[in-house]
Amino acid sequence: MAFFDTLAANLPKLLDGTVTTLALTGLGAAIAAAASPGLALLRANGPLPAQLALRAYISFVRGTPLLAQLFLVFYGSGQFRAELTALGLWGFFRDPFNCAVLVFAVNSCAYQTEILRGGIQAVAVGEIEAARAVGMSRPTILRRVVFPHAYRIAWPALGNEIILLMKASALASIVTVFDLMGRTRQIFSRSFEFSVYFQAAVLYLIITACFVYLWRFAERRMSRHMAAPGRA
Amino acid sequence: MQPQTPQDLVLHAQDIRKSFGTHEVLKGISLQARNHDVISILGASGSGKSTFLRCLNFLEIPSSGSVAVHGETIAFRNGRIGDQRQIERMRQHLGMVFQQFNLWTHRTVLENVMEGPVQVKHKPKAEARDQAEALLARVGLAERMHHYPSQLSGGQQQRVAIARALAMEPDAILFDEPTSALDPELVGEVLKVMQDLAAEGRTMIVVTHEMAFAREVSTEVVFLHQGLVAEQGPPEKLFNNPESEVFARFISKIR
Repeated sequence: MAFFDTLAANLPKLLDGTVTTLALTGLGAAIAAAASPGLALLRANGPLPAQLALRAYISFVRGTPLLAQLFLVFYGSGQFRAELTALGLWGFFRDPFNCAVLVFAVNSCAYQTEILRGGIQAVAVGEIEAARAVGMSRPTILRRVVFPHAYRIAWPALGNEIILLMKASALASIVTVFDLMGRTRQIFSRSFEFSVYFQAAVLYLIITACFVYLWRFAERRMSRHMAAPGRA
Repeated sequence: MQPQTPQDLVLHAQDIRKSFGTHEVLKGISLQARNHDVISILGASGSGKSTFLRCLNFLEIPSSGSVAVHGETIAFRNGRIGDQRQIERMRQHLGMVFQQFNLWTHRTVLENVMEGPVQVKHKPKAEARDQAEALLARVGLAERMHHYPSQLSGGQQQRVAIARALAMEPDAILFDEPTSALDPELVGEVLKVMQDLAAEGRTMIVVTHEMAFAREVSTEVVFLHQGLVAEQGPPEKLFNNPESEVFARFISKIR
């Protein structure tokens, strides 16, 4: 069948693009995940100036298109080439992959911070009081009580955010990153074989399905204490 | 007054006042707890008894007054804790049992009891585990130690909470209405454990509505009314011979 012939021909390039898509998403989400707990705490309980600054940052990220943010960094950095070169940063910004990772990390961090803030604020006050009452220090309370609960509460929304980020990472192809979408567009522009888009869609779907499976597995592990046999 | 050494005085609260906004809930309450005292704090709802108890371990920061644990006065000013380390140290000496149990729901019963000793006192895990198992056996929950709190009844959860407080080897335990959230048929099992603790000479300060407990188990009863101590003394005297009219009315209503 023609479909499978073209798939076999396209597959090496598509898989190469898939790896780039996974790297873009994974790096962006991981950097965001590393920064979000501290920011979420500040957003929930920090001093007022920090809260205002975070709200401005989150509003900006949520209120503007991801593509615009990507253009801002990718084309914007070109305007400051001299300055960035002087700072030794031009090598970083010259690579569209780096620009995309940076934008995705900054973008996802805003969402993850806001999701985690909700989780932190939903932790039962009584459990925190019980921790204070046995003499736990604040860092210990965060580590042993607040974050375990906050992450469990935020988990499904965080998974959703990462899936959205994965799909949005296709925008990187517009600034010349050869991710899965970039490879697909490249193949199509040479062959005008429309089915390559369908093949790419299946690959995106497989990524999402695998991710959802792993995420749910982790969620079940985290929810063991909630499964109460014989009780509502 | 019986002779006493300063070490005998576990907890000394003086002239505790607490306001929420313009509403003054506590209008100057003092309390001394010596070793082996079992003090019941009674009062109608809104009398400030829970707020007072929470001021003793600074879950609520008093507006004014002083709290000393083993003669060491806790530093605070303008509604802020003066020295976080000092508070954390002091809280290890004062266990607390809550109305709503407040077990850590993401940890098993055993982990709940081990948590304080391991995380706060940095006890070796094996040692903390042995101690936790012994304490759970004492409150009759040895078979439930690998369950999660959501799998236990209220009475069982409260007994775990008592074991959790005991695991810190506190000098006194504060009980904040420990049976008020329980179904009537579960109250007995918790009171039984508390009675045993009193019998072995634990120092306890108990905010409660259980008149029988106050009357038969406690060594001293404090009755709060509108943010002030309205009556205070040994239970036999108070219950048989109330001096204040408010307390007389209170106990007549309860009976």
